[in-house]
Amino acid sequence: MKRLLTEAKLVLIGIPVAIWTLLPIYHMFLFSISTKEEAFSGELWPAHPTLRNFGVVFREQNYFLNHFWRQFANSLLIAVAVGAITLVVAAGAAFSISRLRTRGGRLVLNCALFTYFIPAAFLAVPMYKAMGTYGLLNTQWALILAMVTIASPYAIWVLKQASDKLPWELDEAARIDGASPLQLFRLVYLPLIAPSLVAVGTYALLLAWNEYLYAFLLLSNDKDITLPVALGHFLSADDSPWELLMTTGLIYALPPAAIYYAFKRYMVAGLTAGAVKS
Amino acid sequence: MSTVALPGVEAAASAGGPRRRLSPWQAWGLVLLAPYVAVFLVFVLYPVGYGLWLARHPQSYVQLFADPVFAGSVVNTLIFLIVGINLKMAVALFLSGFFVTARPWIRWLSVLFILPWAVPSIPTILSIRFMLNPEWGVVNQVIFRLTGADGPNWLNDRWIALSMAMLVHIWKSLPFWTMILIAGRLAIPGELYEAASVDGASVWQRFRFITWPSLSTLYLTSAILSMIWTLGDFNSVYLLTGGGPADLTHVLATLGIRYLRLDQVDLAMATIVSALPLVLPLVYFMMKRLSR
Amino acid sequence: MAPVSFNNIAKTFGSTEVIRGISFDIRDGEFMVLVGPSGCGKSTLLRMLAGLEEITAGTIAIDGRVVNQVDSKDRDIAMVFQSYALYPHMSVRDNMGFSLRLRRADRSEIDARVMRAARILNLEPYLDRYPRELSGGQRQRVAMGRAIVRDPKVFLFDEPLSNLDAKLRVQMRSEIKALHQRLKTTTVYVTHDQIEAMTMADRIVVMHDGAIEQIGTPLELYDRPDNLFVAQFIGSPAMNVVRGTLRRTGSAAHVETADGVRWPAGSGGGVDGQAVAYGVRPDHLELGGGGERTVPGEIVVVEPTGSETELVVRIGDAQMTVETHGRTTLQPGDKVGFAIDPANVHLFDQASGARLVS
Ligand SMILES: Nc1ncnc2c1ncn2[C@@H]1O[C@H](COP(=O)(O)OP(=O)(O)O)[C@@H](O)[C@H]1O
Ligand SMILES: [Mg+2]
Repeated sequence: MKRLLTEAKLVLIGIPVAIWTLLPIYHMFLFSISTKEEAFSGELWPAHPTLRNFGVVFREQNYFLNHFWRQFANSLLIAVAVGAITLVVAAGAAFSISRLRTRGGRLVLNCALFTYFIPAAFLAVPMYKAMGTYGLLNTQWALILAMVTIASPYAIWVLKQASDKLPWELDEAARIDGASPLQLFRLVYLPLIAPSLVAVGTYALLLAWNEYLYAFLLLSNDKDITLPVALGHFLSADDSPWELLMTTGLIYALPPAAIYYAFKRYMVAGLTAGAVKS
Repeated sequence: MSTVALPGVEAAASAGGPRRRLSPWQAWGLVLLAPYVAVFLVFVLYPVGYGLWLARHPQSYVQLFADPVFAGSVVNTLIFLIVGINLKMAVALFLSGFFVTARPWIRWLSVLFILPWAVPSIPTILSIRFMLNPEWGVVNQVIFRLTGADGPNWLNDRWIALSMAMLVHIWKSLPFWTMILIAGRLAIPGELYEAASVDGASVWQRFRFITWPSLSTLYLTSAILSMIWTLGDFNSVYLLTGGGPADLTHVLATLGIRYLRLDQVDLAMATIVSALPLVLPLVYFMMKRLSR
Repeated sequence: MAPVSFNNIAKTFGSTEVIRGISFDIRDGEFMVLVGPSGCGKSTLLRMLAGLEEITAGTIAIDGRVVNQVDSKDRDIAMVFQSYALYPHMSVRDNMGFSLRLRRADRSEIDARVMRAARILNLEPYLDRYPRELSGGQRQRVAMGRAIVRDPKVFLFDEPLSNLDAKLRVQMRSEIKALHQRLKTTTVYVTHDQIEAMTMADRIVVMHDGAIEQIGTPLELYDRPDNLFVAQFIGSPAMNVVRGTLRRTGSAAHVETADGVRWPAGSGGGVDGQAVAYGVRPDHLELGGGGERTVPGEIVVVEPTGSETELVVRIGDAQMTVETHGRTTLQPGDKVGFAIDPANVHLFDQASGARLVS
């Protein structure tokens, strides 16, 4: 009897949690398989589910979708570039600070941490001005570099935590074996922190793919912008095709969700451990 | 020193060139550190310095404080922080207890529960925005069907719109903080609970005397970090209300960007500078925590 | 193969002096053991030789060449670490071949040398395993294999057996010894365990507090310790020591302790009335006997180990360990005498700890 009561209580918590979590996502999905009329009717399931919206999006058959594929490619390219550059920058810095004990490393790490803790929207303002000064505004490099700036502090920190756990004797053994600093980095260090590299690379990639604010500030040309900015443009019209907006949104949301679940093992261990060290 | 100045030492020292030369290890250390240092100097230090320089005129602040939107944004930001974060962290604490209950269906639910955090904010926030549409949104249609009355104009009232923005923010970040607190709870040794059960502790007592003492530091750190991130949350407000109605729902993050878009960079920077008294202590606290 | 010489070596970490001006030579092909209590600076000295630690002052030469400014990799040394420091992501084969690969040796040559080392160490069946799939003893052998593949001038070992259980430690001890006899490479071996030092070394350097106490062959150290520290450090069970006053009458001598016991001593050094430390090893106290050279004792504990029996006895106010061969029917409380041959007595000055020689 007491057991039954406990189960009932758990279910009473579980159901609202499920509804709360899924409702906006289900709503998006619902729109993507509905015609405009049915989407606006407020039903919980369309009378005539259809994949037409996806066809429209893929064939770029709407004013708002004129450059869908181009923008999808932009998002992809920028995300991959940010992931790769962040990995290079962060792995080098973490190795230098943690394993080579480079003088000033502590200071650099603190600078990185400080950057990590500047609220993103606050850094956006001076970053925008600086990109203007550098003549990078409205180029994709501006967004790539901005996202690398934002992703690398945390990446460095996570990698440094992981590096600090490697035994010193490995470096010494490699030195005696005749390894140069670069060989130590390539042949011993990188393979040993590979799991953290996966976590950090995925983190940077998703951060860039998902970013709205910086993309919307730094890019403006329709052919340069990324998908989230294009989604934002839908709002500029009074009678936007919401069913197409939701369809595009769903297509845009799927890859990061898939990547997240594929790398969940690395992400959760690496990122939760890193985010809050109590 | 003179006693150890053997001929061999001098020979070795002169053979090795000037002693101050960097070893390859030190040199590579600098080379590998350089990319990040460059990123930091070019994209953080210079921009921030330049931005602060732009915000150096007292008169920018006079103008800013005279703008009623600023005062409203400060109030909104404080409400967002105080109500939003406490609500979010309390619910996360509660749900973390729910999710560590060992049931297969709860495991499955926890996988789904991560979704809001795993998907990008833009489409989901826009989805919520349409749900709240007064005429066509599903929320008001359900209200109409159930009560026959028209629902409120959700995004057209300052307080309702702000509350909705807070809910959007919570919807998005709740999974992350719940996960953190789950990790914290899983780190508490099970024997403690077994011992407490043997001693006949109630559910509340177990929370009060075992869970909370082990979790409180993590909870506090999480709350502070969440505050910093919430201050930088642009999307929840901008994509839901755009700062409206009539610029009444701006928070400092969106206000700064609004000024920037209006090409009033000094005001944008002044907005940020006026948030520093709040931000810097939090940042200091977090840096102390993490760089131990 | 090469001689190694340390010349006035000193090392400071910040303001703490860890090595205080050490000089000694290691002969070509010698197995030299550095032994001393934990924290005395053995590892630091070895690491300076390896090039892992800056040399604060003095010079180290390998094969006649001063290596102070030479990078580790150019010193032609190989080192075995206490933790083995195997590369976890490489197979045994790759671990052993890594140094040759870095030197850009031919594939075929790497393979040949790895195979040779594997054969010496009986590692052939494990070449394609990863370190995590090996037992402690096998990892230890891989670490040694990695060293011998290089065919270096000097082998360095830093407490290589400390992570093994007692039985394996004894076995590996003889394996390392056999390996040295086969390869005849100059070896510097650091340990805190004096039994390891005694059983393996050609010569031993006893260190204490960053300085050398004595250098010598195992038996020299055992038979003629230069000072009280070495006397008490070398030998197991440890030497028994009491403090008293030297009484010298003609050619006869004894040491008198405060409890009135007269300990027989020989014609060694020291003057009448000198405050001395009187040392005698547990196997030099002979059970039974009587007369001049006997001290009276009372059995406190009897510890049979099978072939030998260790006794704890009270002589005067002193507790002493006595080692007897064979078995005994003695019980705690029994009163017996112990004969001491003055030739086996070690006398040290109480103040300086230095051995008294005639
Ligand atoms: N990197 C270091 N910094 C400061 N002190 C050190 C360092 N390495 C060793 N020491 C100190 O030097 C002394 C000798 O250490 P070590 O050579 O490791 O001793 P051993 O190997 O004989 O146990 C110890 O007191 C140790 O604390
Ligand atoms: Mg040591």
